[in-house]
Amino acid sequence: MPAYHSTFLAEETQDSRTVGNFAILPIKTKFKGPAFPSLSDYDIIDEVLDLFRANSFFKNFEIKGPADRALIYGILFVSQCLNSLNIRVSHNEAVKILTNLSLENFAIPGDIGFPLNSLYTSPKDKNEELLLRQYLSQFRQELSSRLIERLYAEDKSKPSKYWLAFTRRKFMNKSL
Amino acid sequence: MSSTTPAVIMDNGTGLTKLGFAGNDSPSWVFPTAIATRASASSSKPSAPSKPSFLSSSTSNSSSKLSGGNLSSIKRDMEDLDFYIGDEALEAAKGPSYSLHYPIRHGQIENWDQMERFWENSIFKYLKCEPEDHYFLLTEPPLNPPENRENTAEIMFESFNCAGLYIAVQAVLALAASWTSSKVTDRSLTGTVIDSGDGVTHVIPVAEGYVIGSAIKNIPIAGRDITSFIQTLLRDRGEKDTSLKTAEQIKQEFCYVCPDIVKEFNKFDSHPDMFAKYMVETVSKSKIEVDVGYERFLAPEIFFNPEIASSDFLTPLPTIVDQVIQASPIDVRKNLYKNIVLSGGSTMFKDFGRRLQRDLKTLVNERVQQSERLSGTKSSGVAVQVISHKRQKNAVWFGGSLLAQTGEFKSYCYTKQDYEEYGPNIVRNFSLFSVP
Repeated sequence: MPAYHSTFLAEETQDSRTVGNFAILPIKTKFKGPAFPSLSDYDIIDEVLDLFRANSFFKNFEIKGPADRALIYGILFVSQCLNSLNIRVSHNEAVKILTNLSLENFAIPGDIGFPLNSLYTSPKDKNEELLLRQYLSQFRQELSSRLIERLYAEDKSKPSKYWLAFTRRKFMNKSL
Repeated sequence: MSSTTPAVIMDNGTGLTKLGFAGNDSPSWVFPTAIATRASASSSKPSAPSKPSFLSSSTSNSSSKLSGGNLSSIKRDMEDLDFYIGDEALEAAKGPSYSLHYPIRHGQIENWDQMERFWENSIFKYLKCEPEDHYFLLTEPPLNPPENRENTAEIMFESFNCAGLYIAVQAVLALAASWTSSKVTDRSLTGTVIDSGDGVTHVIPVAEGYVIGSAIKNIPIAGRDITSFIQTLLRDRGEKDTSLKTAEQIKQEFCYVCPDIVKEFNKFDSHPDMFAKYMVETVSKSKIEVDVGYERFLAPEIFFNPEIASSDFLTPLPTIVDQVIQASPIDVRKNLYKNIVLSGGSTMFKDFGRRLQRDLKTLVNERVQQSERLSGTKSSGVAVQVISHKRQKNAVWFGGSLLAQTGEFKSYCYTKQDYEEYGPNIVRNFSLFSVP
């Protein structure tokens, strides 16, 4: 049984929103951005958080469609978030650190610093680039805030050590 | 005398040796197949006593051996008695004057001199029996060369003077041990044996008591790999005690096989009581608490998803089993699928058999459907059944005990008289047990 794929692959149709080959999936969020509100209860952010722990163990992953690329980006971002925390960071500090991390200057597919350029195609024009950047910013904010919920579910003063243990693992041997 | 005494069952594995008498339901002694001999550095003799005799006689120092004369041979006799086996060997090897050896490598005997002394101690110090009065059942790995059988017979008959000898293939004994399961209805010696110990996992197809040698496959994942994977997970999390011993204890006490790892992660989130705690007692009698988390189900998962722990071996166990059966003759394949038997300590995880059966069934059904689609005919289907039973841990030994207590056992053995009449090559072939 290989690594887990995104369940949103099945929902893709001709007119699904994509930039390059990256899926712009709906998200349920309060952060501002271009994403459509999600109709179902389970969105790509939930999926990233569910599959993160299992997929972190895998080094090989066969990309089956645009939704998988969103999944990979999410998993690698969670890993980046965990790496910027440690066991002594409290809930309030974590919110600060991760908000900064999700808003700071980040590379998008097509930029020179982006590590997965061999797998992602770059946006066609300035408009697409802007859309992708805004979408990813929204995606990162929502993901980090839901990650914090999970990390501090048990104890507000320190993050779950079972989650932090995954900082050593690198999905597909890549990191953002 | 030997007609009334129970046969001795000796199962010498790479890691552990199991000793006991036929008719018992568990071995009387289980200890590491290790021998500690006096370190050769302390003696002034050029030929080390721990070297096997055939090696030392063939090397260039044969002249010094000749000139050594009587005195050194007496000294050597004394040194021959100065050794320990099993747990005592591990203890003795902690000191400076003994060195530890493992005479069996990859299931086969590598050092006959050490093995002879290992058997000597097994018989006289542990079993405390007279070999003249007992028949012996020894085990061998599949594809053991006949020369090894001859060497074994030579030692058993000439050094120990044992009454009779039978050498059985481990996989066949494991099949016999599965007869205790209620799922087994027709006590046949046809089936696929999955034998997973500490070092390697073998998948061995057996048809009517004969091992199909060309189809055997080995998997480099077994108990030791699971333990070291647990150790890495504990270290990743920065637990207070991450010794190999702790990892091993956690493996034996807490690990199980889950149906799906993503669902299992979520189950841990919603049921925090799934996280366990393991107490380690240190040398200074203080107690350390080690948390046990996802390794409970991730560790045995490496059989089904080897990718999570290793980067060079990626084929899951169910796929290997399928390949093995597909490589066997077509007329036995159905029976091989129907009777998949587990043996060895690393198959003891809860639900191991169930998961294997499910994954294998998926593979088989896919193929059946594909062939139905291509040929347009209806298949009668292939039944896949994995047998788990209570004697899995010492299945090979138990199978031996089961067969050796039957009345016919002695008629299948070769006796000391047979050996003297025909010579060592008599043991190249043993007749198979007819199924009662």
